[in-house]
Order: sequence, then C-alpha cells, then structure tokens
Amino acid sequence: MTAYDYYSIVQGALATILLSVASIVLGVPLGLGLALIRWARVPFFGRVVVAYVSVMRACPMVTLLLLIYFALPQFGLSLDPTPAAILALTAGTAAYNCEVWRAALLNFPRDQYDAALSVGMSRSLRFRRIVFPQILKAGLPGLVNEMTLQIKATPAVAVIGIVEITRAALRIGARTYEPLPPFVVALVLYSLIVLVLVKLQRRIERREAAKG
Amino acid sequence: MAVHQDTRNASPATAVSARSRQRIRVSLALALAALTCGQAAWAASADEIKSRGYLSVATEDDYTPFEFMKDGVATGYDNELLALVRKQLGVTVKQQVMPWSGILPGVTTGKFDMAVSAVLATDERKKTFDFLSPTSEAVTFYATKKGAPIKAAADLAGKVVGAETGSAMLTDLKNFNEELKKKGAGLKQIVEYQGYPEAYQDLALGRIDAVANTQISLMSLVKTRPDAFTVGQAIGKPVFIAWAVKKGNTDVARMVDAILLELRKNGQLYELQQKWLGVTYKDMPQSIN
Repeated sequence: MTAYDYYSIVQGALATILLSVASIVLGVPLGLGLALIRWARVPFFGRVVVAYVSVMRACPMVTLLLLIYFALPQFGLSLDPTPAAILALTAGTAAYNCEVWRAALLNFPRDQYDAALSVGMSRSLRFRRIVFPQILKAGLPGLVNEMTLQIKATPAVAVIGIVEITRAALRIGARTYEPLPPFVVALVLYSLIVLVLVKLQRRIERREAAKG
Repeated sequence: MAVHQDTRNASPATAVSARSRQRIRVSLALALAALTCGQAAWAASADEIKSRGYLSVATEDDYTPFEFMKDGVATGYDNELLALVRKQLGVTVKQQVMPWSGILPGVTTGKFDMAVSAVLATDERKKTFDFLSPTSEAVTFYATKKGAPIKAAADLAGKVVGAETGSAMLTDLKNFNEELKKKGAGLKQIVEYQGYPEAYQDLALGRIDAVANTQISLMSLVKTRPDAFTVGQAIGKPVFIAWAVKKGNTDVARMVDAILLELRKNGQLYELQQKWLGVTYKDMPQSIN
C-alpha cells in the first residue's frame, strides 16, 4: 500500500462520517416526529407511519439506493449520488428511530402526563418539560445502537458510486490484488468512529445521571 | 440440477455477495417496473447532448487493467481511450466512477448515456444495448493457485469455480459446465462474486479452486502476483469488448464511434492496447450490433 492508499481510505472515512452524521441528524428528529404521530393516534397519518415503517424495515439499503438513484430519473427527478445517498440513509434510519422513540413513549408513565395536564401546562410545555427529557433518557441506548448500525450501513452507498471506507479499501485491493492490508486499515477506522460515538453516549448518560 | 445455487456454504464472504446479489435482483426488477410505467425518453439525442453541453458516462473502479484507480485518478485502458475521445468530442464528458453492479442499470434507466467500461458484447446484452465499435476482444480463461493440480480445462470437473455475478464470464462458465456434464461430471459448484478482487482472495485462501475471467484480466493478475496464481486454458469462445449505450440510442453511439474508428486509423487505439493489454487486435469489425 502506498501513502496515497492510506490517504484515500481516510478520505473514504470522511465520506462515511459525513453520510452517517447527515442521516443521523436528520433521521433522529424525523423518527421522533413519526413516533409522535403514532403515539398521538393522528387519524390516517398514524396508518401512513405504520406502512412507512414496515416498508422501510423490509427494504434493503442497496435496493432503496438503486431505486432512488436509478428509478427516480424516470419520473424527472435526477439526484446526484450524495443527496441520493443521504435521502436513502435518512429514510431508512428514521423508520428504525421511530420504533426506538415509540418504545420510549409507550413506557412513559401516563399519570405524569395527566399530572402535567392538571396543573394546566400547555401541550408544547408538557412535551418539552415532562415527556421529552424522559423519553430521551430511555431512548438513548437504542438510538446510539441504531447510529452504530447506521455507520455500518453506509458501505451500501458504494453501489451508486460514492467512495466510503469499504469502497476505498476495495479499490486498493483491486489494483494490488492483495485486499487484506486495506481492509485492516478500514477496520481500524470504523472502530475509531464507533468508539467516538459510544464515548459520547457515555458522557451524555453520566451527565444525565448527575442531574438525577 | 443447477450448480450455482447456494453459495452460503462456501464462505462468509460469498454469503454476503449472495445476499446482496438477491437485493440487486429485486431492485432491478423494481427499476424495470419503474421503467415501463415512467417515460423512458431520458436517454439524450445528439442535439440534446450538444445543447446541454455534456455526455454522461459511467466507468468501473476495480477492473484492472481496463479501469481502476491509481492515486485517486481513474486510469487503465478504457480511461486513457476516453481521454483521447474527450479531445475530439466537442462536448465535455461527465464521468461517474462506480462499481460494476450500478453501470448497466444506470445505462438502461438513462442515468448515463454510455457505459465506458469493458462490456462483453454478448447476444443476451445485444437485446438491451447497442454496442460501439469494439475496443478489444476477450476469451474466458480460468486461473488457479500456483502449483494446483488442475492442468487442463477438463480437470475442472468436480471443482469449485468463481466468477463475477451478472458477468459474461459467468455465462461462459455455466455453458462450460454444461459441456463438462455432457462428457461426464460437471463442476462441483459455481460461486458468484460481486467483484473479482473477492474472487481472487478466495482463490488465494483455497476456498475455491479456480476463477473464470477474461484472459486479459487474468494475465494482469498473474503479472502482479506471479508468486500466487497461474493462468489456465480457455473455457469460452472469443467475444468482443465494447462500450455500450441503451438500445436505440444510436445518436450517441455514432458520435463516439466516429472518434473511435479515427483512433484505429491513426493507430492510437492499438498503442493503448499494447500498453495496457499486452496485445493488439487489429482485425476487429467496425460494428458488432
């Protein structure tokens, strides 16, 4: 492996991080929104969310990517690889996040909600002060778990021509016919990224615990 | 009985490729469904290309020596040939470098005007694509680990052989298997891979006994790693290699073909063949559709 080869895998890591962060930042609140629609039993839209989550959980990421990238131009919407990848990854992770948030909401003690109601808190205040802090705490492990899975889902985007860690490693192996060294470098980089994420989770949890 | 069935027993790596192959098949079906209900007039005509100012092409990134990445730059036979075409085309070329599995679907759905890749012009593919004048020729060979007991193509009976999924070499391998069966015993198993690097790696690890690919690619493999592999014999008939456009997109084909034929006349195409492929093919026909 040449110095450039190492550099190219690190560049791939930047793509992996960019795509993961973008889809997580968009997908976590989107998942919360979807979960709230179901939790609040909004007529019609509640059913739409159920259908959306089912379809997304059944659809492999590669399939979704190919559909968005190759099939949408048939309907006049031609996306570049990066937006197409972010769209697909966000759509996927939002469905899983929806279920994590929903689990947290289902476990939320109803009497607290009623108590908040009884002291006359408005709907948004009830959510901000009472519901959200608690479901965030309950949902955090599940959300971080989904984030690490999301990082590992990114190699699927190679199919539409984006070079992330795995693809960068594959390219080197294809030239040298010795694929193992680049994959070891790839593994190290993935580990580092996930490590940072887990550290972040620990910190948030410790801070929450300190608050009581 | 089909031999190339469940590759899951072969190795974890192939299990993954078997799964993603299924995904791609499903998604292709969906893409085709979209194709039939949407309007497929996206493939641009010569006028449209001139007015929008670019031709969009897709190239592979891991098919040495035809196309691969070196120091972040797409290089190899097809890329250097494309560089010569760019000089005379009159419009810019937007090139997307991506894995093989996305290239032909990208051309059929109109995302790209042309596949600038070593596409084997098989009869099956001629139903969906129009090919330009050929850029080289290919014969499917097999390669083994150095010192393997396979001395001739017939020795592959009872062995496990790998090839790239959706490739013409895989079709050749399947046909070869049928011939073997007529003579007695067929291959033990055909393992399909997403790309050749994985196949070579499994060959090096001894998970498979041979890999079927074009002679040119296998020669390049052996040139890079003479300690590990040897090239065997032919298991298919010669086929032309050419760039491809969507069936009926003759405008684009003609535009580029004029330049390719010019490059034959002035000998630059043959120089590139010599440089990258180690051989020249001087008696290729002008049209193979």
